[in-house]
Amino acid sequence: MNFTFRNKRISGMLAVVPARELKFLDEMKNFNAPEGRSRKLMETMGYDRRRLVEDGVCVSDLAVFGLQQLFDRGLLKKDEIDALILVTQTPDHLLPPTTNIIQGRLGLGKDVLCLDISQGCAGFVVGLIEAFMLLEQEEVRKVVLINSDVLSRKASPKDRNIYPLIGDAAAITILERDPKPSVIHATVKMDGARNETLIIPAGGMRLPCTPETAQLVDVGDNNLRAKDHLYMDGSGVFNFVQTEVPGVIEEVLKRSGTPIESVDYFLCHQPNRFMLQKLADKMKVPHSKMPNNVVERFGNSSGATVPIAIMINLAEKARGSGFLACLSGFGVGLTWSSMLTRVEQLAFCEMIDFA
Amino acid sequence: MDIFLQKIAQILEVDSINADDDLKSFSQWDSLAVLSVIAMLDADYGVNLRATDLQQAQSASALWSIVQTRKAA
Repeated sequence: MNFTFRNKRISGMLAVVPARELKFLDEMKNFNAPEGRSRKLMETMGYDRRRLVEDGVCVSDLAVFGLQQLFDRGLLKKDEIDALILVTQTPDHLLPPTTNIIQGRLGLGKDVLCLDISQGCAGFVVGLIEAFMLLEQEEVRKVVLINSDVLSRKASPKDRNIYPLIGDAAAITILERDPKPSVIHATVKMDGARNETLIIPAGGMRLPCTPETAQLVDVGDNNLRAKDHLYMDGSGVFNFVQTEVPGVIEEVLKRSGTPIESVDYFLCHQPNRFMLQKLADKMKVPHSKMPNNVVERFGNSSGATVPIAIMINLAEKARGSGFLACLSGFGVGLTWSSMLTRVEQLAFCEMIDFA
Repeated sequence: MDIFLQKIAQILEVDSINADDDLKSFSQWDSLAVLSVIAMLDADYGVNLRATDLQQAQSASALWSIVQTRKAA
């Protein structure tokens, strides 16, 4: 589906990452694989350091911490928020919505619309689209979009396919009207026929958690995983990204009449360095225009990786005269998305540690 | 096909491989190697294979025929 928005903008971004840092070199001993292959994995994928929550920390904890900072520093006022959107795959509970928990903990007004969206790695663009649609309403002034997951709690520490790449984080993005005329194009595509490419089989109503679903099973390559854990078909995801993502990026470029060379940065979801380099090569985009350094420092934190890529590479520019960005996400669903927008004059664009 | 064999050897971190070598006999033939082969086939031959396609190929030459068939298709 294609979207066009007028006179809307991103006005600020803050990411919250757990203070706890794990190093891949220290973790290698947890895997049953030969050390040489683990090293190869590290070099190819760009694994190094990542941030994980302590036991028991939830999405609402990260979000409340970040929003409270914004209130305390006068960067956001409680009474100017009209809607709270949370994109997550790891809600605090099956019900109530985690946005309601955040609303309650922060004492936000009863007129605030609270919406949880079940999306992951493509979820930054999906969340922005929802936020911009709400901004079409006259009474809506500011929308707070939160992309947050604590997927490390759902990954098997004995699964070399998934555990070393996961990071936890929350990204908070403020959306409002643009005082000057602007146009934003976006495209989202989905393929539910491939919904099992990324799945946590147990824990919902189809297969509730039991002692059996918690049982670790040898799934090959010396990896152990339970049905309670996140499963990813790694090569399936790779093929999906290489075959589908270039098209969805070309789509927004075509619709906006923007030559690919005019895009300053391609800010894509960050599954690992390898996949992003291959994607850049496929699209004939210089690696310098498609940052791929989030995983090596923070891990793959699902929908929060695009904001983090902006913060660690382009914060100063984003607060200043800005750049033309093509944002793109891809993951669970399967879902793949793109958005062409300027990122400029942000009131804030930074990361803080959750402690 | 020689270049293809060299590329596979490089992924398996060995000096060379023979066309009829069983890929699964290499200790380096793990999910990372499979992904590297998939990426190489996509980038260098414009062919998108899945991990299950690769598992069907007993040898490097069997894999080479799959690639040729897909390229022709």
